[in-house]
Formats: sequence, structure tokens, C-alpha cells
Amino acid sequence: MLDALLVAGQTTSAELISIVHADEERTAAALQRLLDLALAWEAPGGVRALTGVADAMRGMPGLVSGLRPSSPEPARPDEVAARIAELTPAATALLRHVDDHGGEGTTGSARRTVSPAEARSPAEELISRRLLVPRDGDAVVLPGEVGLALRGGRTTREPVDEVPPLATSPREATMVARTAAGAAFDVVRRVELLLDHWGVQPPSVLRSGGLAVRDLKAVARELHVDEPGAALVVEVALASGLVAEAADTDGTPSWLPTDEFDVWSGLPLAERWARLVGGWLASSRVPSLVGSRDAAGKSWNALAPELSSGLSEEARRLALQGLAEVPEGEVLAVGTGIASLVQRIAWLRPRRPTVFADLVTAALTEAAVLGVTGAGGLPPSGRCVAAGDLPAAAEAIAPHLPRPVDHVLLQADLTAVAPGPLETEVARRLHLLADVESRGGATVYRFTSASLRRGFDAGWSSGEVRAFLHSVSQTPVPQPLEFLVDDVARTFGSVRVGHAEAFLRADDEAALAALVHDPRGRSLGLRLLAPTVAIATSPLDVLLPRLRELGAAPVVEAADGTVRVSRPDLQRARTRRGRRPAGAVEARRAAQVQAVATAIRAGDRAEASRPASAEATTTTPSGALAALREAIEAGSTVVIGYVDNHGATGERVVDPRRLDGGRLSAYDHRADDVREFAVHRITGVRHA
Amino acid sequence: MNDGPLIVQSDKTLLLEVDHPSAVEARKAIAPFAELERSPEHIHTYRLTPLGLWNARAAGHDAEQVVDALLTWSRYAVPHALLVDVAETMGRYGRLRLEKHPVHGLVLSSTDRPVLEEVLRAKKVAGMIGSRIDDDSVAVHPSERGNLKQALLKLGWPAEDFAGYVDGEAHAIDLAEDGWTLRPYQREAADSFWDGGSGVVVLPCGAGKTIVGAASMAHARATTLILVTNTVSARQWKDELVARTSLTEDEIGEYSGAVKEIRPVTIATYQVLTTKRKGVYPHLDLLDARDWGLIVYDEVHLLPAPIFRMTADLQARRRLGLTATLVREDGREGEVFSLIGPKRYDAPWKDIEAQGYIAPADCVEVRVSLPDGERLAYATSDPDTRYRLASCTHAKIDVVRRLVRQHAGQPTLVIGQYIDQLDEIAEMLDAPVIKGETPVKERQRLFNAFRSGEIGLLVVSKVANFSIDLPSAEVAIQVSGSFGSRQEEAQRLGRLLRPKTEGRSAHFYTIVSRDTVDADFAQNRQRFLAEQGYAYRIVDAGDLTAEPS
Repeated sequence: MLDALLVAGQTTSAELISIVHADEERTAAALQRLLDLALAWEAPGGVRALTGVADAMRGMPGLVSGLRPSSPEPARPDEVAARIAELTPAATALLRHVDDHGGEGTTGSARRTVSPAEARSPAEELISRRLLVPRDGDAVVLPGEVGLALRGGRTTREPVDEVPPLATSPREATMVARTAAGAAFDVVRRVELLLDHWGVQPPSVLRSGGLAVRDLKAVARELHVDEPGAALVVEVALASGLVAEAADTDGTPSWLPTDEFDVWSGLPLAERWARLVGGWLASSRVPSLVGSRDAAGKSWNALAPELSSGLSEEARRLALQGLAEVPEGEVLAVGTGIASLVQRIAWLRPRRPTVFADLVTAALTEAAVLGVTGAGGLPPSGRCVAAGDLPAAAEAIAPHLPRPVDHVLLQADLTAVAPGPLETEVARRLHLLADVESRGGATVYRFTSASLRRGFDAGWSSGEVRAFLHSVSQTPVPQPLEFLVDDVARTFGSVRVGHAEAFLRADDEAALAALVHDPRGRSLGLRLLAPTVAIATSPLDVLLPRLRELGAAPVVEAADGTVRVSRPDLQRARTRRGRRPAGAVEARRAAQVQAVATAIRAGDRAEASRPASAEATTTTPSGALAALREAIEAGSTVVIGYVDNHGATGERVVDPRRLDGGRLSAYDHRADDVREFAVHRITGVRHA
Repeated sequence: MNDGPLIVQSDKTLLLEVDHPSAVEARKAIAPFAELERSPEHIHTYRLTPLGLWNARAAGHDAEQVVDALLTWSRYAVPHALLVDVAETMGRYGRLRLEKHPVHGLVLSSTDRPVLEEVLRAKKVAGMIGSRIDDDSVAVHPSERGNLKQALLKLGWPAEDFAGYVDGEAHAIDLAEDGWTLRPYQREAADSFWDGGSGVVVLPCGAGKTIVGAASMAHARATTLILVTNTVSARQWKDELVARTSLTEDEIGEYSGAVKEIRPVTIATYQVLTTKRKGVYPHLDLLDARDWGLIVYDEVHLLPAPIFRMTADLQARRRLGLTATLVREDGREGEVFSLIGPKRYDAPWKDIEAQGYIAPADCVEVRVSLPDGERLAYATSDPDTRYRLASCTHAKIDVVRRLVRQHAGQPTLVIGQYIDQLDEIAEMLDAPVIKGETPVKERQRLFNAFRSGEIGLLVVSKVANFSIDLPSAEVAIQVSGSFGSRQEEAQRLGRLLRPKTEGRSAHFYTIVSRDTVDADFAQNRQRFLAEQGYAYRIVDAGDLTAEPS
């Protein structure tokens, strides 16, 4: 309607109604509505649109009908028709082509000012008859009245007041609800699985902000879905605030489950689903684009920040509302159904860009995966979602979702099958004791000795494991499983390791027990390991006198087990246990002997080179430096006086090599190695 | 949520709750298209595979039926993606057809032109097809019939073979039902094989697959080549055929390493066919030696790879595969499907058991502890001698003696791998031993004596026990063994322990040393047996006397 108004410019209401290809009454009503909304007003010369409206509409890419506004002083329809009738077939074809492609074109070489008689090309023919109006440059425009004439006096060829029908087919409502619930359960499970996985092995965030293609592939494998499916799960998790960017333990930015995820995991299934759907519905993300390429040929990564569109939220809402019009017991027909819904939405919102149709299609696919729709129809829960009532949706879907079970079926092949989603606590424990083999509506666990050992490592005892198995199993625990538990328990911890400073042995069990339980001996940290063996956390030198005080008469056992009898009043220090093996000590001693020999030799050389007079020793800093440089050039050996780290002065026989940065690098005869000396600590230099 | 017995997992496994009231119906509904993977006591696991679905399609089921069965019996909603996948997979079978054209001979035709175009452009297929006849069909060289089917299966577009078979050289074969009759399921199996042309009959161990073979031969009434796993098995086939059909001993030839006879009915071993000398298979001529009307493959799941290649050239002859399971450990199920044929008959194991034709054995694992001295020796030994040490512990010998005494009067076999150990046991029990060095004649004599009941106790090594048919054995005691392929284990078990006339159940004991590699092997075995649905118990050697016999 508005479109027609703009095409017509200023016109009478009767004329306006006539050019809209629709029922007259409805068109009149629509016009009235435009007047009420003050988008149009009744000027003296007829109805016209508000100036701003035209500008706003023109800002959008083209008008809906593809028509341009009429020229300011349009020719009468019959004149236009007459002019069109004069055209050659080629020119008619060109005109129609321009009309179909937005009413605008370029003419290239066509001359602008020609009379009909002189026209040599179809374009010139059209321009000369003012069927195309030249604009700036090469551009020509098809005026509105010409377009109208081409379309039989209407703005559109097809009537616009007929709602495009939806292609539907009958389908049992329970079927729809069950399919939807199945998908809903699946998506919740997948999000949980994904984030459980990411909590342990978070994928890193790309520099551009998304998720690497490789990581997405890994997710797809892990979740048993294709890549678009994986992208959707990941994006839904993001939209629901369950995953966010954070630094992992190494400090690399990674995708991690949020603390919100922990809260979410504790919710009932239906509410978890509702959260996901809510997040999806309100988000501007476009998961369907993941994997495809943008205009620049760069492929879209999941979770990339640019991957959003202001239109996607509306597309989802409209898609669901459109679907809600399908009566219960019917669903969109396979194949044609989605296309018909897309068409219907295009009719309802004619002024959306072309990508909108893609968004709607994607929204429908996503809705099916999320379990908002099922088998192409809206179940009661989906209708609540369409109406925006998520708590009601959760309530509606709850009866269709698998109820949590608190038991498993244990089998002789050492598997446990949970015939439904397990209660969180049971699942957590079972997860510790067994490995998951297959997931879905049910979960299959397998017990292995490794998995049971994991349980024992976490502090379970074989009694507890058995009790747990008995409590969760509806059937008797199969004998092989009991044997496995016993086998693992038997070998688990058969050798124990701990700390002790000293041990106590006694053949007299009672005496040892009395000692251990003596309150006065508490500080000794005594612990009974066996009836005849106890350990103490205090060292022997503390332990011995205390034990005597407690009335025991201990004897010390040597490392070889022999008894050393010693007088009680003789004091002994505890033998320092050498930290190094004997070999190391010997090696050290040999090295020391050699070092001493080298030092003596160096000393001898220093002595031999000692000058007769003291003047030869340069003691001024500048003199010392000069002497060192000289020695470096000459490659000669010098004796330097040096103050070492402890402040002691000594002489070193060295071959200076390099001097820079206040440090002398020289071969030290005593150390038999190249050493560094701080120049400021050199007290003097003389020739060797 | 409805209360069905089936849970459909998104990884395409189906879990069937056995104790559910409608489990039997559900099993019937899913059996045509899902492969039974594991059958422990409470929940049986089936798997949906493309081959399983195509088998179902070949048997005349369509996707709608499959989806319907899943939806009807599933407890929870079925993952949508899985349903789509089922429909899509099943839709692929039969788009391409191999047919006999009166003018052009063998042709590949399709009702779906894009599919035909797709496969014709595939590199793998390029060498096998001839000229284009029209838009929808293309000529195929007859010798490429098998290869083409294989290639098409790999491309995911399995072709249905309508090209028919040669009749082969006629030879009168009739079933001689004197004193016995074909069991109903055996008749059904033979009939559905014959109607389908070629294919595989799946029957559990001990259900009488040989009889199905014989019945199929009676259908064909033509010269037959039977391929079996080994010589002993060949002899059994021969005996069985002589007993059950009108064939006489002279009409049946054995073609093995020892004897090379070609008769109207020839039984050859896989081994002799696949023997390679100087890069060629010298015995391949056998396949063309006569105009065979039927080729029977025993134990299809063990069919060696070279036989597949030979089979590819035999597509014009009827082929019958017999097996207890379609699952192959080498994953070549696809070749069985394309070269021998789709599954034609599959009797639910439980049904046959319920009819009393087979009985599961009572499997008992007896755990013995190594004496302290041996434990120390075990702990300090090299890894490669450990297994031997663990299996040959003396503690086992005592257990064997007790078991034998417990089952006194019942035919008993003691099976082992290490000859020293067997000799020792035999000496202690005063029983004859069959081992690798025992001449075939002596073996046969002992086996026959055992069958007739003259000998109640036999000690056999693994060499001899491979594929023996001793239906009279009621007790088997395995003292050592490498438990090689799990498949083989089940075969042996099934072969050894047939239903007993008095209704007594058979016992299968395995003696295992605790906390050793022996026990690790046993664990795999135990899992497999439990998955196969055999009752399985573990008993401590000390508690053995308390065992009811």
C-alpha cells in the first residue's frame, strides 16, 4: 500500500486503490491505517506520503515491488500504454528486463536526446519515448507509471492480499511432541557433554576471537554430530551464557564453561532445556553461517564475534510464530513446507533483505535440532516458546523427557546400563568407578580394573564399592563383577608406603600396644603398623630418652639388624646420614687433591716470578689496566693481586685474555680454567 | 515417553531390555535390520550399520518399517538425525540394478539417472563398464560382475543383482530324511536362500548349518563345491552329507592338502585354495574344474581374503554362505555382502534355544592361586615365559583331578596348549593324549572311541581340538590356551557342547591362575562369553568341592 502510494506520488484515494492488486475494501482499510498512523496525509491534491517516509523507504535497497516513483508529471496511463505498443519487440524485452531488475539500468552508448524516429537501438527507442528517463551518468530509470502500465496498471503482478498458504500434512500430535522431546533431550545432553569436555580440555580462543576449525571438528567427533550440528551446540552454549572466554591454567585465552554451567547442570532437564532455548531465541548469533565463507572468501569460525546479525532474532520469532499457525495435528509438509513458511514470512515482512529468508530457514532447522519443533510441527512446548513463555514450555515438555533413573542394570560382561538419564549423584559416582561406553537416552558403563582402581584411588573401599553397586542395581550384582572388585581390592595398596623417623619392634605385643597408647608418649607420634611393629615420627635421639622415661628399656638396632647395647648415660649424637654415596665422597677427595696440587704449582710459579724489587708491581688502577692490556697483547702471564668475595687478598697467576666492561677474562693457572675477575678488585699486576 | 523395551542411542546402538514384557515382539521387529552385538543377561545391544540396513532392504523391508519399528518400541524419543540417516541409507540400496539384457548381456541400470552418472564417473568403476546403452543403462563385462558390485558398495550405492545364475551341471541330490526331519528353521533358511538366489544364512553355533547346506543342495540338484575351514571339518561335512542325503561316499570328493579328488560334490579347504606357489595359486583351477551349480562357504566370517578375489569371478554361480555371525574381526563384512550376497536368513538365537535345539553351556572359570614358590618364580621371570609359568602351575593339575572325579561317568575332554602339562595330566588321569605328533589314524580312532563312549576321558592339545566335532562331550576342561581370537573360542565352544539328549547341560571349565597374565586373558574371554549370553561363573579352586555336579 505504502509502496503504491510512493509509486503514485500524489494521487486520489480511488486511483491509489485501483493500482494495488488486491481487494478494494482491504486496500481502502490499509490506506486508512496509513492515514491513522500519519504515514500518509490527505493533501489538497490527493493523498500523499509524508516526505520523510519516502526518504526512509528509499534508504532501503529498492522498493518491494521494484517500482520507482512516478515522474513528477506522469503521462496518462493510456498514453503510456500507447507508447509501449509502438515499441519493437527488442525494446519491449529490454523494458521488461529493466522492470524486473529494480527499474534501473545503464545505457552505455545510447544517445540521450533522440526523437522516436531517429532511435537506432532499443535503448534509444525507450529513451526517446520517455519510457526510460535518463539520470546522471549512464543511468536510466523506469518511471513508476511505465512500470504500472507494464504490470497491467497495478503495482504488482500477483495479488498482494492473499496470504501465501502453508504446505502442511497431517501428523499425530504425540509423534510431534515425542520427536521434539527427543531432540530436546539430545541437545541438553550434548551441551553438557561438550562443556564437561571443555572443562577438562578447553580449546583456545583464536586471535580473531572464534573457535578453530580443528576444535570444531573435534567437538563434532566427540558429540557424534556433523560440523554444522556441532557449531549449533557450541553457539547455543555461548548464547545461554554457559561458555565464555577465559584464561586457562597456562594463561592462554580459552573457551571455558562458566560457573553458570554448574548451576545449570543441577537444574531439572526441562529447565535446562528452557535455558538453552531462551538463550538461542534471544541471541543474535548466526550458527548457520559457520563453515561458509564471507564476501572476502574468509570462512566463518564458530564463536567468532562477528558471527551475528540483527535480524536473526526476529527471524527466529517469526519462524516460530508462523509455525504456530499450523494447527495441532498438522505439520509442515516434507520438502515444500519450509519453503512455504519462508514465503509466508516474506509476505508478512516484505521489506526485509533477501538474507532474511536464509535466516528463517536456518531458524527452522535450529528449532528442530533444539527440540522446539518436532517433525516439522510445533508441540505444546514449542507453542509456549513461540509465545515467549519459557517456564510454561519447560513444564509442557517435562512429561515427554526421560525421567531420571536412580538405578542401573549390572551385567556379567562387566557393563552397567542406566536405562535413562541417571540422577546426578549416582552418575557422578558411577562415572568414577566405570568408563562410559555409549551415550544417548541410556548410558552404558564398563567396569575395568583400571576404572575400579580409580575409585579406590579416590578413597573408596571394596566394601563401599560393593555396597554402592548393590544399592544402584535392581538385579543381583553379577558374580564376575564382584570378583573383579575383589581382585582389584586385593592388589590395591598391597604395598604401602609412608614416612617414619624410627621404628619400634617388640615381641611383646601388649607392651608395644601399651607404649603406643600411653598418653605421655603422644608427642612421639607413635603408630602401630602391626601387633609387633610401631613407627615413630620423632628421631631416635628424642625417642630413646622419652621411651626410657615411659618405662621402656629400648635397645638400638643397627642397620644390619644387630643390637647395639649402650650405656644409658652415655650421650650420643645421631649419626649424620651422608647424603652422598661413598663414591661421590672419594671422587671429591681426588678432585681436592688435584686442586691442591694445581694451587701449589701456581703458587710456585708466582713465587718464581716474584720480582726482586716491589716497583715492578703496578698498583694504581690505570697502571694495572695498562699492564693487563699489555699482557693481553703479548699473551704473557701475569700475577694479579685479587680481593675475593670474602674480602681475602690473594695472588693469582693468570693469562689475561680480554678486558671489557670492568671485567677481566683470564686463564687462571690455579683453577685450570678461564675465570672472570672484577677489575676494581685487582689490587696490583706484575709480570710473572 | 512410552514404556518400550528399546533404547535408541545416538551412536546407532540399540539397547533391548530383555526382561521387558514386550521384549520378544520388539526383538522380532528389529532383528531384520539390526545386528546383535552383545547379549548378556539383561540388556542386549544391537547395532545399526549400513550393511544391516541394506540386508533388510534386500529382504524386502523398507525404511518406513525400520523407522516405524524404532519409534514403536523405543522408550525415549529417537534421535532425529538417526531416523534421517536410516531412511537415507536404505534409500541407497537398489537404485542400481544389475540385469541380464537380451541383447547387451549384463547391464547396469538405474531408475535414478544422477546416481548412475555419479558412479560412472567414479575412478574405481571406470575400468569395469562397457559402452553406454541408453541414458539409464550401461553394459558391464560379465567378468567384472563381482568387482563392480564390490566397487559400488564402496561408493555407497550397492547394486541389486538380478542377473540370475547358471544352472550348473545337474546332479541328483535328495535329502534322506530317514529317522530325522529337517527342523522348521532349517527348512526356512534353505528356502529363503533359494528364493533370494545367493546370500548368507546366519545360524547360531550348533544349530545345524551343515543340514541347511544339504537342504540347499537338494534344492539346487546340481554339482556343488563346498569350501570349509580345515580338513577335519571337511571330513565332518562328508560324513554328514552321506548320512543326510542320497549322496554316496563315491560322489563326494575331498580336496585338501592330503587328498585331491574332484567329484560331483567336492569339499575343499580354504587352506589348499589359498596355497601360493611361486606367486600363483596352483589349485585355483578347481573352481573351474566343473560347472558348479552351487558353491557353499562354511564359516563365512573366517573366509580368507584371497577367496574373496576368487569369489569375485564366480558371480554367475549360486553362492551360499553359512555362519554364526556376520561380524568379521577384519572388518570385511562389506565384501561378504557384495560378493556372496546379503543375509537371507537369521534365526534369533533365543528362539532356537527355546525350541530346544541348542543349549548354552555352563561356563565356569576356576581360579587357582599359585603356590608361593611358583609365585616368586613367576614374578622374577621374563615376560615371554610368564604365560607358560602361569598356565602350567601344578595347582591346576590337582583341580583337574577333582573336576574329573566330580564329573565321573560323563564324557570329559581336557584341553591344553603345553604338551608337557598335558602329558603330566594324562599320566595322572591315566587317559590317552592326542597331540600334534599323534598320527591322523590314531586320532580318528581315539575320537571315534570317544564318540562311541568307549573312552570317557580324553586329553587333547590345541592342535587336535581345532574344529573337532565331539557331540558326546559333556564336560570340557581347558587348562591352558592362548585364547587367540574370541571368535574361535565361541566356535569351539559351540561345536564341542551340543545339547545333550538327557537334557543335562554341558560344562565348560577353564582353569586360571589368579593375578597372572593367565587371568588377564581370561578376562577378555569372560567378557566375550558373557556378551554371547553364556552363563558364566567364577569359582575359587578351594570352593570346588561344594560345586553341585
